[in-house]
This record gives sequence, C-alpha cells and structure tokens, in this order.
Amino acid sequence: MAYEPQYYPGATSVAENRRKHMSGKVEKLREISDDDLTLVLGHRAPGSDYPSTHPPLAEMGEPECSIRELVEPTAGAKAGDRVRYVQFVDSMYNAPATPYFRSYNAAINFRGVDPGTLSGRQVVEARERDMEEIAKFQMETEMTCPALASLRGATVHGHSLRLPEDGVMFDMLDRCRKEGDVIIMHKDQVGRPIDKKVNLGKPMSADEAAKRTTIYRVDNVAFRDDSEVIEWVHRVFDQRTAYGFKPEN
Amino acid sequence: MSEAFSDTNTLQLEIFPSRLLKPETAQNLLNEIADLSGVIRLFVHGPRLPQTVPYGPATGMPVNHPGNTVIEVGGQAIELAVYVGSIRMEVIDADVKEQVREVCEDLLPVSFEFREGNFIPRRQTVTDYAKRGPGADPMMIGMTDPKGKLKNHPVCILKPEKDE
Repeated sequence: MAYEPQYYPGATSVAENRRKHMSGKVEKLREISDDDLTLVLGHRAPGSDYPSTHPPLAEMGEPECSIRELVEPTAGAKAGDRVRYVQFVDSMYNAPATPYFRSYNAAINFRGVDPGTLSGRQVVEARERDMEEIAKFQMETEMTCPALASLRGATVHGHSLRLPEDGVMFDMLDRCRKEGDVIIMHKDQVGRPIDKKVNLGKPMSADEAAKRTTIYRVDNVAFRDDSEVIEWVHRVFDQRTAYGFKPEN
Repeated sequence: MSEAFSDTNTLQLEIFPSRLLKPETAQNLLNEIADLSGVIRLFVHGPRLPQTVPYGPATGMPVNHPGNTVIEVGGQAIELAVYVGSIRMEVIDADVKEQVREVCEDLLPVSFEFREGNFIPRRQTVTDYAKRGPGADPMMIGMTDPKGKLKNHPVCILKPEKDE
C-alpha cells in the first residue's frame, strides 16, 4: 500500500485546513494573470525576459556528478534565472494562511525554494520563475484572502493590528485598497506605484475566512478544542525534552 | 491654568473600537466629543502613517495614504498622523463619562471597549521635563507625541477661551 502522508493531526476545520495547505490540495478561488503578478512583484517589467545570473545549464557544461544526474534542475535553475523573493503578510484576524503553513506549503510542494518563516511575514526565495509559480499558486488559491493577506516586500507592519473598518488589513504604505467589492493593488510589493490597478479579487466574508483559516483562535476554533492536536503537541514536547536531556554521566 | 487638571479627581477614559477607524468616522466622533462640556483633554492613538516610504527599494517615495488626511474638529483643522485606533481622554466626572459612552454608542459603526483607568500621566515625568522644562503647563503633562517635534505644535487647543 502506498504511503499517504497525514501532514497534521486533528479533527477541527483548522486542522483540516492545515492539512490542505501542507498537501497543496487547496481550492483555486481566483485568476491572476502572469503580467499582473509580475507587476505586483516588481522584480522586472511585465512581458520582459527573465534576466539571468548565469548561462543556461545546458550551455554551461556541468561537471560529471551523480547527484546532478539524479536531480532534475528546476525550470528557473535550468535557465539561469536570478534568485528573487516574494513575501506575504497574513493578518491574525482569521487570515487563511500563517507564515508556518505558507512555508510548509512551499517546502513540501515546490522544489528549489528557500522559505523563511518569521512571526508576521513569510518570505520565499527561489529562482525567479520558480518563485513566480509559488506566488501565483498561493495568491490564486484559498491560501490567500486579498483583504486579510497581502504581498509586502518591505514595511510589513499590520498583521497583528486590528483590521480597519473596511476589513482590509492595515498597510501603512497603502498598497491594497478596497474598490467596490474587490481588492486592488496599485503599488508593487515594496510600495512603488505601478502603471495599472491589479485586481486581486473579492475578499472573503468574515464567515468564510473563519471557515478557511489555519489559525486557532479562542473566538473561532480554539486550540484547546482539538484534543488530538494537543496530544501530539505534548508528545513532541515530551520527547524532545527527553531526548535533549543528556546527562554527562 | 489651574492645577486641577492634574488632579486625581478627574476621570480618564479610553475608547477602544474593535476596528481601526476611518478618518471620517474619527472626525464625527471627535467632533461630538469636543462638543461635550467637561472633556478636559484627549488624544488619539494608533499606528503611525508615514509621509514617505521609510525603507526598502522605494525609500523616500510619497505614500499618499488615505488615512493621512486633515480632519476638522471643533472648527480647527488637524492633520491626522495616525490611523485612529483608540481615543484616550480626561473628563471631569462620571456624568461626562456616560455622555461620552452614549456618543460612542451612537456614532461608532463597530463594537468597542470603553474603560476607565490611567491613560495620561497626572504628574510630570522626566520626558515632560526634558521636553518642556520646569514650570510647564500642567495641562500639557503627558500630551507628548513621542515622534513629534514641539515646534510642529503637536498639541491642539480647541477651546482656548475655557482654559483661561
């Protein structure tokens, strides 16, 4: 019987969403075009070629190496793309993803990525076209609500603040705004104005966000409600304490 | 200026809405509160809105945040440098406190916490002394914008005639 990874314990909706994010089996909710994505990432002009940092691997003549033969390079590595980043910030008010689960998603489902997990933001570094693939995946699926999560390359302040009245996470650089019933982004991820307004789609309603979130909250699904998760967290802590304890004699 | 303003008989209140307030909502609320007699002083508190991008590749570019606007309170134009998160104030007695609570219930579109406590220093601190020196107006105690400059007049006196 083939092994099926279980990813995460628990019977609550939050545990189920965490399993979805880790396995990459998430629902696609919106469409963002490649040009729009390039525009908001701000690393190169939309439609331009990917700048490269070295010639394509096929032209370089790689040394003989069993590992290189074994591991197929990613598309970005093959073409010699630059390493670029995408950084997300997720609100503590029932945003669908959290930095940890974005990192799990990137590390489990994509190759050639370097996810960085911080308390309020999550950054992925990868070859440019590989990074764009992850960014597109995470932005188009239920991992992102355009109001409760946003692309922020610099000045990430806002994830732990109360939401403003319109429900769009506070951003002191005002990259995202609610226009009508959709969220638009009119600056790139570091706050430079861009040529057009990029439509990021409709925000989730409060109920939908509560249903799709991976955050345990006392006012939604409390961590203590999930006895299986508690049991496993205790087990992990017990065992790492036990194995970490190494008396000298 | 009477010493009564740093008196412990006054009440200090905090209005803490469940969401950050839009400038229009904040303006309406502040206007209604400013109309009440018995409010001695108040300040708004919240995340600061920069005029220019502070760091990153876009450093120095203008931000033009919609929250960074000029609101009119009690006939005076005030530049909002923060997104209003809470309002802290000093009032003379419990009646005024109840009036403030009614104003909040009428005007705030979101739920809010309303509490009494100590939010503005009642005695001069080292910071006050360093900023204003000895013999400073007791009304100004604690009314300091930590990032503001005194020369930019961060404190606005709405009803100067009543301070006489």
